[in-house]
Amino acid sequence: MSQEPLAALMANKAKAVQAIVEEMTSLEDAFHYFLNLTQKQGGRHVAAAGFNSKEFESLRSLCQHESLNLLPPPLRGHAGKIHTAITPVEWGLANTGTLVLNSASEDVRLATMLADTHVALLPVSKIVPDVESIEKDLDDILKTEPATYLAFITGPSRTADIERVLAIGVHGPQALHILIMENDAE
Amino acid sequence: MIKTAQNIKSYKKQLKEALQDKFLGTALNNFNKAYRENRPGVYEGIEFEAIKRDIAQDKDAAIPRLLELFEEFKSHAEEAGVTIHLAKDAHEANQIIARIARDNAVKHIIKSKSMTAEETYLNDHLEKKGFMVTETDLGEWIIQLRHEGPSHMVMPAIHLSRYQVGDLFEKVTHQDLDAEDIDKLVKVARKELRPVFLKADMGISGANFAIADSGSLGLVTNEGNMRLVTTLPRVHVALVGLDKLLPDLKSALKILKLLPRNATGQAITSYVTWIKGANECRNAPQEKKEMHIVFLDNGRLELSKDRVFAEALRCIRCGACANVCPIYSKVGGHKYGHVYIGAIGLILTLFYHGKENDRAIVKNCLNCQACKAVCAVDIDLPFLIKKTLGAVMDEDGRKPIKNQLLSKVMPHRRLFHFLLRQAHLAQKPLARKGPMIRHLPHFFEKQHGFRSLPVIAAKPFRDRWLNMDTGVKSPAYAVSFFAGCAVDFIYPEQAEAMIKLIKTWSVKVMFPESQSCCGLPALMAAEEETAAKLAWQNYEAFQNTASDYILTICASCASHIKHYYPKVASQAGISKTDMAIFVEKVIDFSSFMVNVLNVSAEAFTTGDKKVAYHAPCHLCRGLAVTEEPRKLIEIAGLTYVPSADEEVCCGFGGSYSVDFPEISAEILGQKLDNVIQSNADILVTDCPGCVLQLRGGMHKRDSAMEVKHISEVLSEQLKKC
Ligand code: SF4
Ligand code: SF4
Repeated sequence: MSQEPLAALMANKAKAVQAIVEEMTSLEDAFHYFLNLTQKQGGRHVAAAGFNSKEFESLRSLCQHESLNLLPPPLRGHAGKIHTAITPVEWGLANTGTLVLNSASEDVRLATMLADTHVALLPVSKIVPDVESIEKDLDDILKTEPATYLAFITGPSRTADIERVLAIGVHGPQALHILIMENDAE
Repeated sequence: MIKTAQNIKSYKKQLKEALQDKFLGTALNNFNKAYRENRPGVYEGIEFEAIKRDIAQDKDAAIPRLLELFEEFKSHAEEAGVTIHLAKDAHEANQIIARIARDNAVKHIIKSKSMTAEETYLNDHLEKKGFMVTETDLGEWIIQLRHEGPSHMVMPAIHLSRYQVGDLFEKVTHQDLDAEDIDKLVKVARKELRPVFLKADMGISGANFAIADSGSLGLVTNEGNMRLVTTLPRVHVALVGLDKLLPDLKSALKILKLLPRNATGQAITSYVTWIKGANECRNAPQEKKEMHIVFLDNGRLELSKDRVFAEALRCIRCGACANVCPIYSKVGGHKYGHVYIGAIGLILTLFYHGKENDRAIVKNCLNCQACKAVCAVDIDLPFLIKKTLGAVMDEDGRKPIKNQLLSKVMPHRRLFHFLLRQAHLAQKPLARKGPMIRHLPHFFEKQHGFRSLPVIAAKPFRDRWLNMDTGVKSPAYAVSFFAGCAVDFIYPEQAEAMIKLIKTWSVKVMFPESQSCCGLPALMAAEEETAAKLAWQNYEAFQNTASDYILTICASCASHIKHYYPKVASQAGISKTDMAIFVEKVIDFSSFMVNVLNVSAEAFTTGDKKVAYHAPCHLCRGLAVTEEPRKLIEIAGLTYVPSADEEVCCGFGGSYSVDFPEISAEILGQKLDNVIQSNADILVTDCPGCVLQLRGGMHKRDSAMEVKHISEVLSEQLKKC
């Protein structure tokens, strides 16, 4: 099946739950987007998790150039500081606009939980129709990994606990940006 | 903390107070309405009925195997470095958790939302042991600060206004706050709780799923606090009811399709988290989380063996049964449950928190079936509520007078009918000439005056029947008529109208005279023995009539016969098939007219009358008949005008309206307001009980709007030939 309609569905469903969705053609563009966003919001400290060392280094030099501080891992020492965080994700579930993220690594968890804004990189090829499409993969992860923390993330954090009025950004990120990556980032 | 009334007198006092809380009334009413109105959109493209039955089946297969599933879960989880505990009751669970905290030198504990922890009163225990406990779910934090229990299983602080929350937060932050701005209030929680998250040593969560074949937990949340609770502190304890055990991921994913939709109207929540094993945790020794899962029995295993009540263990705590309950929306969760709220709360309270806490609240149910219709796991909630009421009375070993009377009189048809006839004589001085009782006798208190009551007919239907001309040449159908008490003794004219009407279509009507009350009032009072006896008597009464259908004009009787009689057939040696044949024949008036007789407009005159319709609970939900009555009104040459909330209960509920008159009056009042707003000329319904309630209410208001049974308006519309 062509990925285009799936990507469109994914984008629509994610937008419906207040996520911001953009298309990117390269990892570098995505990093630039991330840094611009941070600067626009007046943030200083950024975090990245789930990247290989080469990618991390390239982000770091971009940060230096923009005079932003890429927090060095482990992130636990900087828990109170993270303004924006960027992470890749494993899958996108189009029918609900959900991101699936294996966050066994503590840094991935801290980055995606503590940041005010989470920027998620989703390769277009990893968008699947629904959770059933990856049920087997999920089951394998749960059965074979010694420990795992699998997260489905759909939009920014929210609550309706006061008078049932929807409010965005309670304890988790106040904004979620999904960058759909056209060419799979190597 | 939680103060649930232990007897009906103090309960009624509490209810009165709740009914006076204007904010609560409006907030919950809007909630109920919004929930119902959004629901079809939320379920677009989702086969709710099929999935719920599928889940129910999965659950029913898991419930008898809970211990087995527990062992399977345990072996996988232990392999992944988790310590598993099984607590036999609430106290033991609390002790285990306090011990884990002590052993790990914990001071600060943060919690994410867990109804199971509410069930065990975990916070109280931990605080007594000297730990600092902070709830981090916004609603839970609010009620913790107010020293209250939750008033809803999903939205624990739904009973509070933004101003109440604003005042509370001003006290916490020592700052002036603009309570109008809910976003800002939410940010207060974010800001105040961040440091608490960061310094906590232990996090306590619940779980929605415990998946046996991998030993992993599934958690369904929105705020993001649970993710922090399970990540930041070095110790994580999950408190999980044994009923959350499922064999595999597949069954959990099925539930995930309905849970968020049913609970909050979301296709999926912001976060669904699957946790397995001791994950990386850099502030813990060996950089591995100290992880414990405490499974709670607290009566679940015993419940799992109960033939009737095991069904209650299917519950996935979506809260929907409260959302749609007309009573919940009038009195709120603190008066409609103990820890567990709403229909399921009326049931589980007996098992988890004892009969004292259930004694009064379990009586407060209209049997309107609204909860059953939305339940994500197909629990027959109204039926189990009556079963629970019976169990509470058994445990108390004392029967109210109403029950003693019911069980003495009702099984004896002649005595019962004799007393009904006597009632007519007794009412005579009160009624003068009209169809309504003018003044209630003095033994009724004034709260019963919200509607006028009809008089008992001078001549019941069964006597009038003897003189009716019911002869039909070459009948198209032969039907037996099941009258029911209300038609037989209060509104015989409804039956006469119906019989006259269907004669036009050459329907031969028979009336088996040994028929009696359908038994619903007995079941409502948890007089099961009596209800069963009546079922058998009626089954017998209809055995000798060769009829194509058993026709009723009482939706409650029809629904009760169809659903309840098969449950008690075997006790009287009636075979399943025989009973199935019997109940299959039972049909309501509108369905008979539209689907069997295929009546068409030519038979009726056209009028310019506008007709509002009230859908009886036992017709629209009990029998799933929704189109036919509205069609029939149009066929009969009348104009059907929709009104708001047509399918919401009228507040009658049989003796409910006598037991809880204030609530009944509130529900009725709203119903009448809606109908009057529709600008209809007549209000039509197809259950004599609803006619009694609605007509009584209109009469009391001196409203000009007539209330009629659909059989009456139809016979009036029939062309005279
Ligand atoms: S049957 Fe009606 S009144 Fe009773 S609990 Fe269910 S919704 Fe509430
Ligand atoms: S009983 Fe049914 S509707 Fe009520 S909370 Fe449980 S699953 Fe939801």
